[in-house]
Amino acid sequence: MSDETKLKEPTDSTKGLWHKDTLAEIDYKASAGKHRIRGCATPRKMPNFDDLMILPGQLTRMTIDTYREDCETRTVLGKRFATKPLVIETPVMIGGMSYGALSKEAKIALAKATSIVGTVISNGEGGILPEELENSYRQSIQVLPSRMGFTKRNLEVADMLEFVCGIGAKPGLSGHLMGSKISAEVAEMRQLPIGIDLHSHPRSGDFFGADDMVIKMEQMRELTNWEVPIFVKLAAGRVREDIKIAVKLGVDGIILDGCQGGTGAAPVMAADHLGIPTMPALVQAVRTLEEMGVKDEVSLIVSGGIRDGADLAKALAIGADAVAIGTAALIAMGCRVCMRCHTGNCSFGIGTQNSEQRKNLDIDEAAERVANYIQAMTAEAVLLAKAAGKSKLKNMEREDLRALTLEIAAMTGIPLVGSDLVIGEGFGFTANNKI
Amino acid sequence: MECLDAALYKSPELNKTIKAKMADGFRDIVIHNSNSMHNMCVGLTGQGNITIEDSTGLYTASFLEGPRIVVEGNVGWYAGDDMMSGELIIKKNTGCNVGAYINGGAIVIYGSTGSRVGYGMKGGTIIVCGNAGRWAAQMSMGGNLIILGDLGRQAGESMYKGAVFTRDTDAINKIGGNVYLDEITPEERIMLTELFDRYEISADPSEFKVIRPATSGRHNYVLFKPVLIPEAAKKLALRGESHE
Repeated sequence: MSDETKLKEPTDSTKGLWHKDTLAEIDYKASAGKHRIRGCATPRKMPNFDDLMILPGQLTRMTIDTYREDCETRTVLGKRFATKPLVIETPVMIGGMSYGALSKEAKIALAKATSIVGTVISNGEGGILPEELENSYRQSIQVLPSRMGFTKRNLEVADMLEFVCGIGAKPGLSGHLMGSKISAEVAEMRQLPIGIDLHSHPRSGDFFGADDMVIKMEQMRELTNWEVPIFVKLAAGRVREDIKIAVKLGVDGIILDGCQGGTGAAPVMAADHLGIPTMPALVQAVRTLEEMGVKDEVSLIVSGGIRDGADLAKALAIGADAVAIGTAALIAMGCRVCMRCHTGNCSFGIGTQNSEQRKNLDIDEAAERVANYIQAMTAEAVLLAKAAGKSKLKNMEREDLRALTLEIAAMTGIPLVGSDLVIGEGFGFTANNKI
Repeated sequence: MECLDAALYKSPELNKTIKAKMADGFRDIVIHNSNSMHNMCVGLTGQGNITIEDSTGLYTASFLEGPRIVVEGNVGWYAGDDMMSGELIIKKNTGCNVGAYINGGAIVIYGSTGSRVGYGMKGGTIIVCGNAGRWAAQMSMGGNLIILGDLGRQAGESMYKGAVFTRDTDAINKIGGNVYLDEITPEERIMLTELFDRYEISADPSEFKVIRPATSGRHNYVLFKPVLIPEAAKKLALRGESHE
């Protein structure tokens, strides 16, 4: 056989399980002897809000004119016990991202954006920058296991408090902030040595379980004179049990962070394999609140991979009262999701403490872009809500939804598109076709 | 002096009454029948001396800012958490996690304390005249913890900043990761002398050493990783002890 006619062996280039990312992971571990840290969120494909469709109003419901009629978006959060619940203009808040993970400029831009659109921003770990507080419309203060930068003064400026038990991107773990980001300024705020790789406190030192936390909650109520709404932030895991405990603690609301949530730095293993996705977690949370008869009392904010008005509208339809965004807001500022936030090397000036790179972020322009994005996202949700016949965004309901696949129908209890088949645990639907 | 019977109140009402009395100018308040009530004296501010004649429950004097609180009995977990300033004087023993996250002020425990005293403390002073449980000053970010009695294991585990003073002769075998045992400086000796005088504690500062964080720079910080010792497994297998 001549050379020209020799058969070529197939390359099997996809290599099944052993694709190039797996090889790179193994190479890293073989060389470094430790797990890898990565920024942003898990790249794994998981169920999300795209797996649901919204039913438009036709003869059964009159649609609302998209371009001429009103649709209310104002949202009240935390009215269960707090005497001064939070009132925001859109059910989109900016979730907790720390000064340290983000540059000062990025934090100020996010705060300014909240003032443009009338919403709330969460400070994240490591204290609050005076400039953030000065520029934010409403300020949520996180009470974290580390308490870095936290004092009684923080309670006095809070419009909302979040007891953080976990975050979706690394549930069961705590804040990671690599040494390249612990600049002198960040170190001073957090009372840390400059340049240390921070692996923050994993558990709170002032409550060791639900019984203690009931008493802790009474303490916080007294300190805040029952005025400030108190939320607990949970990473989505054993959602049903965690929600039940949270309700019994006496919180005004719950922030539920699904495993598609982003972060400045997390072990790859944690981001890829811990927790459950946002959408099914939300369903489970709503079911639990309804079983307990407190769905109308306890505010529910959901976060983790929220991208647009469709995600917002569908989250509200399932039963959330608001959503929190993180990565999406950073993208609006210019982030391109290189997933290397942990290195502190961000040429957009967002996830860095490098003084030269920070100059690349124009605060006012970034604030405007984030505000535009929230405005547009709210408008998208309103468009969908009006098409479904709602004059208030919060009137979105699960009956407006259908699941695209059998799996999603089983996961959510929402009827399957086309057949109205309901599978598994109910979600309030009484369909003829039930398995 | 004003006396209050705690048995007549729930803790929020009691604290409100104390605040009102302090606002009315009472500088010395005595509280009877505390019956281990939780959240006593939470968030009190201003100047005043409050004496609790009995034992208290959880979160005593949390977020304290200014007053001097004396508890004649025992105190439950988390006393003085997030304290800003003032004094919390405890005549007997305490549960765990006392002085967690304190920013300032002083906590003096004349008896012994449980685990994690001074957890994540960021400032202030905690003195334990008796023994302390495990993980004293774990992951602290500032302040001074002084322990006159025996140290528990893993003292000072992963401190970022701050100092733990000890005269436990076996301290070197009880310190946690990422810290080291050092001699005290002349300035620290003076500080200890002043504190012992102020709180009438009989102790010789020259007997003390200090646990300091090893975090003077980047990557001088060792994190947990599984220790894999093939020889150990082989020995267990040979002895037929493959199960724990």
